[in-house]
Amino acid sequence: MRINFRSYTPALLGVMLLAASCAKDDTYKTPIPKDQLQNDCIKRSTGPNISGGYIEFAYAMALPAAKGKLVAAQVEASIAGAAGTYLENKSYYYENSLQVDVGIPIGDPSVTTGNTTVTTFTKDTMAATLRYFYRIPDEAKGKSVSFTFSAKSSNGENVSYKMGPYEISTMDMKLDLNMTDGDSTYFSIADMKVYAKNQAVDPAKIDLIYMYRTSATASLKHALVAPGAPKEYLQDFVVPGGAANVTKLVKAYNLRDQQLARLQYGVFITDADFKAIDFNNQPSYLFNLKAEGGTWVESADGKYRAFIYINKVDDTKKSMVISVKRYQVK
Amino acid sequence: MKKFVIISGLFLLVAGMISSCKKNDLPVDEDGLLITTRTDCYVSNFELLGADFQTVRSKAPVIDTAAGTITQEVFYGADLKNLWPQLTLAQDCKLEPKITGRTDFSDLANPRQYTVVSGNRQVRKTYKIIITVQQK
Repeated sequence: MRINFRSYTPALLGVMLLAASCAKDDTYKTPIPKDQLQNDCIKRSTGPNISGGYIEFAYAMALPAAKGKLVAAQVEASIAGAAGTYLENKSYYYENSLQVDVGIPIGDPSVTTGNTTVTTFTKDTMAATLRYFYRIPDEAKGKSVSFTFSAKSSNGENVSYKMGPYEISTMDMKLDLNMTDGDSTYFSIADMKVYAKNQAVDPAKIDLIYMYRTSATASLKHALVAPGAPKEYLQDFVVPGGAANVTKLVKAYNLRDQQLARLQYGVFITDADFKAIDFNNQPSYLFNLKAEGGTWVESADGKYRAFIYINKVDDTKKSMVISVKRYQVK
Repeated sequence: MKKFVIISGLFLLVAGMISSCKKNDLPVDEDGLLITTRTDCYVSNFELLGADFQTVRSKAPVIDTAAGTITQEVFYGADLKNLWPQLTLAQDCKLEPKITGRTDFSDLANPRQYTVVSGNRQVRKTYKIIITVQQK
């Protein structure tokens, strides 16, 4: 029998191809862990950085157990944080069955001295991730801030990690201001404050009056009315002499800014949003305000623009809780 | 004979292709909307939204096609200068003037008027929008 080798060519080529594709890629090597103290950091918070708010980080540090243990973690901010700045003394892990973060204490609560916040480990720990909450101080407004995270281990090793710089917005923010009908009833945009009715307040600073009214035929309920609004909308309210600001309002609903509402929605009001709102021909009174609603506000002199978010309304207590972001226009 | 069949076949093919490419000349108006044969011309529903895109209607609208009026009561304190009207029309109809955004309804003495134009663009019906404010 004569063998025709040419007829085997495709089969041979196929086998060669198979062999080539199965060739082991021997360039990969199992990484060898570094035999020293290491660290890493991520920024957890999103959205604009506003004074009064927090910037949150997660700082991780670890070293091989044989080398020693962690002694201290430290964060140095370029601008000292406001009261409420802290570095966690718990290392968190995620509990799958409960779907929550569970904290394991690793040391004493952090101590902040000037720009530096330190947590000292008291438990024998070789790896930990600590969260750092930087409360943005007023003096950081319009500036940028950066951070140096560092860790120390018992064998004398030191590591550090730089984060930033982060721009701090010129916006102001105030959270959870309580307004009560007939009592804490005046709101001043310039002061970002709620004043009680019996409190001494400059009438020129009263931008909005909160009231709760009911009517058999109309839906009034929770209302914000400017002292300079048409008399009929002020209902029975007697405006203090000299208060006549015609504050402009643009009602909004479902604009649940994450920093104001602290809900799950990834919505952030930034400086650009304040510039874009058109306040021409807008009213100076709003009725029937609801929770998760809000209003854009422009002060009578046009100096400030703000967004008032309504966190909570209470019909029986005749009160509402608001959170405010303010932007200075001029 | 065979040649004749092939040539005539090709000829038919080309003719068929040309006829299939012929533009479909259905009438279209200046807005690019199809002019149909429908003569229905009316408003079937009416909605008014405030600046927060929530309704300001305190009651269902009263649409009187014979009288050409839409009567709508709005909440006390509704900002009449910034309302967004929404009219639901009969099939193929269009509205004049077009609604492009917030509209001022504050002049209660002179109600705004909108004209519905039927699908065949032959029938026109004007509606007057009468706004009343809920009493306190």
